[in-house]
Amino acid sequence: MRALLLTALWVHLASCVLLVGAFGMLLLAGPPREATARRWDRTLVRRSRLLVLVALGSGIVWLLVRTAVFENRLQAALEPRAVWHAVLDTWPGLVWLARHGLLVVLGAFLAMHANVVERRNWIAARGQALMLATLALALTSASSHAAAIAPGTLWAVGVDVTHLAGTGLWGGGLVALLLLLRAVGDEDGADSRPYAVHAAHRFSRAALIVMLLLMASGVLNAIAQVERIAGLAGTAHGRLLLAKLAVLVPILVLAGVNRTRILPALSAPSVSVRRSAIRRLTAFVGLEAVLALVLLVLAAAMTLTTPARHAEPVWPLPFRLSLDVLVDVPGTRWRALLGSQLAAAGVVALIASCLVRRRRTPVLAGALALVAGGAGVGLPPLVVDAYPTTYKRPLLTYHAASIASGMTIYGEHCAGCHGASGAGVPHADLRSAPTSRRHAGELFWLVSRGIPGRGMPDFGSRLGAAQRWDVINFIRTLGAADAAKTIGHQVEPDRAWLAAPDFTVAVGPLAPGALRDDRGRRMVLLVLYTLPESRARMTELARGYDVLSVLGVEVIAVPTHASSEAIRELGASPPVLFPVVTDGNGDIVATYRMFAPGPHAEILIDRQGYIRAIWRGDAGGMPQASAVQAQVEKLNQEKSPPPFPDDHVH
Amino acid sequence: MPVWQVALVLNLTFAVGLGLGYAGWGRRAEALDREFDAARAQVERLERERAACAPGVRAGEQQWEGRGVVRAAYPQLLVITHEEIRGLLPARTTSFRAASPTLRDSIRVGDPIRFSLRGTVADDAAVVAIERW
Repeated sequence: MRALLLTALWVHLASCVLLVGAFGMLLLAGPPREATARRWDRTLVRRSRLLVLVALGSGIVWLLVRTAVFENRLQAALEPRAVWHAVLDTWPGLVWLARHGLLVVLGAFLAMHANVVERRNWIAARGQALMLATLALALTSASSHAAAIAPGTLWAVGVDVTHLAGTGLWGGGLVALLLLLRAVGDEDGADSRPYAVHAAHRFSRAALIVMLLLMASGVLNAIAQVERIAGLAGTAHGRLLLAKLAVLVPILVLAGVNRTRILPALSAPSVSVRRSAIRRLTAFVGLEAVLALVLLVLAAAMTLTTPARHAEPVWPLPFRLSLDVLVDVPGTRWRALLGSQLAAAGVVALIASCLVRRRRTPVLAGALALVAGGAGVGLPPLVVDAYPTTYKRPLLTYHAASIASGMTIYGEHCAGCHGASGAGVPHADLRSAPTSRRHAGELFWLVSRGIPGRGMPDFGSRLGAAQRWDVINFIRTLGAADAAKTIGHQVEPDRAWLAAPDFTVAVGPLAPGALRDDRGRRMVLLVLYTLPESRARMTELARGYDVLSVLGVEVIAVPTHASSEAIRELGASPPVLFPVVTDGNGDIVATYRMFAPGPHAEILIDRQGYIRAIWRGDAGGMPQASAVQAQVEKLNQEKSPPPFPDDHVH
Repeated sequence: MPVWQVALVLNLTFAVGLGLGYAGWGRRAEALDREFDAARAQVERLERERAACAPGVRAGEQQWEGRGVVRAAYPQLLVITHEEIRGLLPARTTSFRAASPTLRDSIRVGDPIRFSLRGTVADDAAVVAIERW
């Protein structure tokens, strides 16, 4: 089914691309006057009629197969009601309808045997056909992966339209040019050789601009759809893109040879040289056209594959490059710096080799040697171990419930060796910066598979995936809590770096909220309190709540003891109007006591969700009312808030 | 007819077709969406008005149902942390007027409750009934 879908889509796309290219090439070449050129013009129009039929036929097969895939029933492809539903009740169906309507109009237009002897009629006829074909091809973007990007849908679709239209003009144009070159390559076609040479020169110039547009739009598409290197190397979509790039390289080489060597030979004084150049150009353009059709197969396959940004990358290499090494191992900095400078010099020399006319080969060789040498010197220190799960997205968010669960599992399975604090194994301090910088997916691999050489057992068979992610969330919190020791009572302006673990705010039996609900709206003063020690401070907070509210602060109080009567225990006078967590407080207390131990602690979380100040019950006691307000005012004065922290650990 | 004129007519037909299509169908679809939302809001309001039907009720009064936790109780005022009250308020802590001073007799701070509000707008909505949740 998938093979049929891919074949139908490829044939359809190729037909549309060839249609765009045929009329684009005709307009580039201009109205033909000589007999061979006119014959070429008529041949292209005749074949375009056929291509419209092929595009419509393959489009219908594509629609039927897709209906069967959507309905998950093979028979649905032949049920008019299901097909009708797929066409009229879905967005891709409506786009399909519009595109095929345009193809029908194009077919009718081409079927009209019009008199195009007059120049303006010829231009109008070919221009109209080009416009209809381009619209039919470019509208594909409206139901492509690009249309699913939000925000910025219009921009993404615009980039995709540019890419598709460029593909049509270049890929389809190659085939049309090939037909012209073959026609004039014969003895009979000698009359139109100047026309063909003129057309080839014009196409070469246009193709250069179109190729630059294709590469630019391709890079933008890749940034939008792939997002990161892991997606490029670790997903089917990314690998198809790499395959596309691999096919593009010989195409660019062929295009370069055509442009620099063969095209100038077309204008040579000797007839035999010109004919030989036309033959070589025909062969090279034919090869380029075949490669362009291979590119279309890969593009069609990419259309049917989940975009890399939505797929889980499986890292294929046993290593990756990490700049964090430069922080952890200062001795590597000089080597990396030297390597980067050599490579940069190599790139400059590479650009220079494209510009100079004399001694290009030695300059190019030197440039490549510099780039290779720079990579050889600078990259090895940056290599760190990597695993298939290196870029795996955590199953669970960075949430107090997961961290508390991980704490329990850690206590049972890990603390024996690693110690309760995570510092039990020399050179493997779980709180250390190097551990915190390892990707969560790498920790997942190590926890799941163990490290046999160092005596670390595998937990893949003993703990479920969710439990392993709980442990990793806890390990991340160990590191975060250790780093948080530098955070005190004073907010450091514009230094937001410590993400606050999310937690559930359950007040009585009401539908629970979450800390993240306040993101972008309010700051949160998280108060972990113990009665009776915290009584006076809670009374003060209850009295000052209106002032804090005006300043944009929500107070969330969490009793350190589990109690469904927590609100009542705080008393009715003065009334406590801020949320008091009555359910699930154990997870919050267990998590946040790692940052702020003691019977009473207050943690100020900014609007973006970062911890900015901590008042620990065991150091400095409880804050004064004015002390919190002063820090809140500092946060209110910050002008450029950082982005929200990710919901998952990295 | 020359081809350039055919092309011109075809493109004009496309442009006019798209314009008329948007004017007649696209804008109508938007208007239908708005009408649908308004009709739904009207139905919800009528349902609340029907719920408020009782002797002595003022014209245009509606009744809303809510669930919450009592945070403070005074003879004329009840402060409740509540879930979203559909058609009136999002989830938050709100002070409501108590329709009767005796309402607070049956509740204590911290009690989860179901309550009924009656009024014409959020500002004049008063708690008319309370039951423990």
